[in-house]
Amino acid sequence: MVRMDRNDHETIQAVLSGDKEAYGALVVRHSHSLFRVAFRITGNEADADDVVQEAFLRGYRKLEGFESRANFGTWIYRIAVHCALDKVKHRRGGETSRVGDANDPELDQLQVADRSAGPERILLSGEIGSMQETALHGLTATERTAFILRHMEDRTTVEIGAALGIEPNAAKQAVFRAVQKLRRRLAPLRVAT
Amino acid sequence: MKHLTEEEMIEHAYGESDNIVAVERHFASCPQCAEGFADLEHDLTGVSRLNAPPRDAHYGERVWGSIAPSLPLYAHQKQRFAWFSMNAGWAKGLGYAAACALLMAGAFYAGRQWEHSKRPSMAQVEHKNPPVKQPVVVVVLDEHLDRSERFLVQLKHADVDLSEMAQPMRDEARSLLAANKVCQQKAAKSDDPELNTALEHLDTLLAQAANSPGGLNTQSISKLQQEMNSDGLLFEVRVLRSRIDDHKKDGSNTAKGGTI
Repeated sequence: MVRMDRNDHETIQAVLSGDKEAYGALVVRHSHSLFRVAFRITGNEADADDVVQEAFLRGYRKLEGFESRANFGTWIYRIAVHCALDKVKHRRGGETSRVGDANDPELDQLQVADRSAGPERILLSGEIGSMQETALHGLTATERTAFILRHMEDRTTVEIGAALGIEPNAAKQAVFRAVQKLRRRLAPLRVAT
Repeated sequence: MKHLTEEEMIEHAYGESDNIVAVERHFASCPQCAEGFADLEHDLTGVSRLNAPPRDAHYGERVWGSIAPSLPLYAHQKQRFAWFSMNAGWAKGLGYAAACALLMAGAFYAGRQWEHSKRPSMAQVEHKNPPVKQPVVVVVLDEHLDRSERFLVQLKHADVDLSEMAQPMRDEARSLLAANKVCQQKAAKSDDPELNTALEHLDTLLAQAANSPGGLNTQSISKLQQEMNSDGLLFEVRVLRSRIDDHKKDGSNTAKGGTI
């Protein structure tokens, strides 16, 4: 039976003292937020479930190194972002037909042209989400994750930098590049609406 | 204020502008930037937030159930780590001990080498301090002269009661005569005329005492005392012994622990 009456730090102390079951409370408490960000980064439900499990496994192994002053939710969140990023990179590395180089304007145009038969059809067929997904997948893994954390998870550039292991300014630039690319790729939708 | 760049607009859209009030004031006075910002907000709003599919209230418990079996117990880990650290401590201690032993061995070896380099070789020692063979001779000679001195003293006082002392003195004379032959051979190699003369004189007296016809008696002893000047020989022997004593003292200083 998972005890939920202790805060994160008390629970961590219990785990480190040999109460393995106490870790279950941390899993229950933070698994939903981890699944959400994992799904947004991976874009896949099954992958997101894998990421959540992997994140809690890594967190358990590294629990001795967890600083008591830190926030466990933030800490395990960062681990989950790393796991999701690894998953995306691994998946992209294994893809035989990639979306293409996001910096290639011709490919950008080609992708949009391939996936759309015109603004009217998009609006009518409800393929806006698909366009967005395609545009997001045209970003690099870091740009995509930075944009998701900024745009969807409402994280600051400092938090994004910490989650990605990069400097805040680099995180800000990643967000800028992501927005610029998305706007360019989603321009046809703007005309349609 | 200059027109805003796209980056500044994006920064402002996410609430991270350095000066939000100044940017808003600029938008109010610059329709071009205001329009550009409106387009940006429209585009960003158009990007859905990709809401994750809902997970029920037991999702966390299922996740826990899936990973719990693969998690080791931290206490066991700690014990293992404690055992490891204990062993590591032992290993560390042994390492230190080995290092100390190695250091001591090295120091010992270095000391030996240093001492060897500083200490002259045996050949050098022999060169600087020639073999002190003399002390061996000296010891033998000293012992022989000591016995000879006692014999000469007995001979000097033998006329008082000779009956009981005649045979033992003759035996002692014979023994001393043989020893004196050896000492003479040794002394002959040395360049010491006083010693050689004394031993030669002693040899004649001992030969007379050992081989006198009819044994030692008052007449033969008197003859030895007068003709052989036994008292003078006794003096020579005592002088030689004093020289030997001096030589022994010098030898002990120069060849202490040496070749004797």
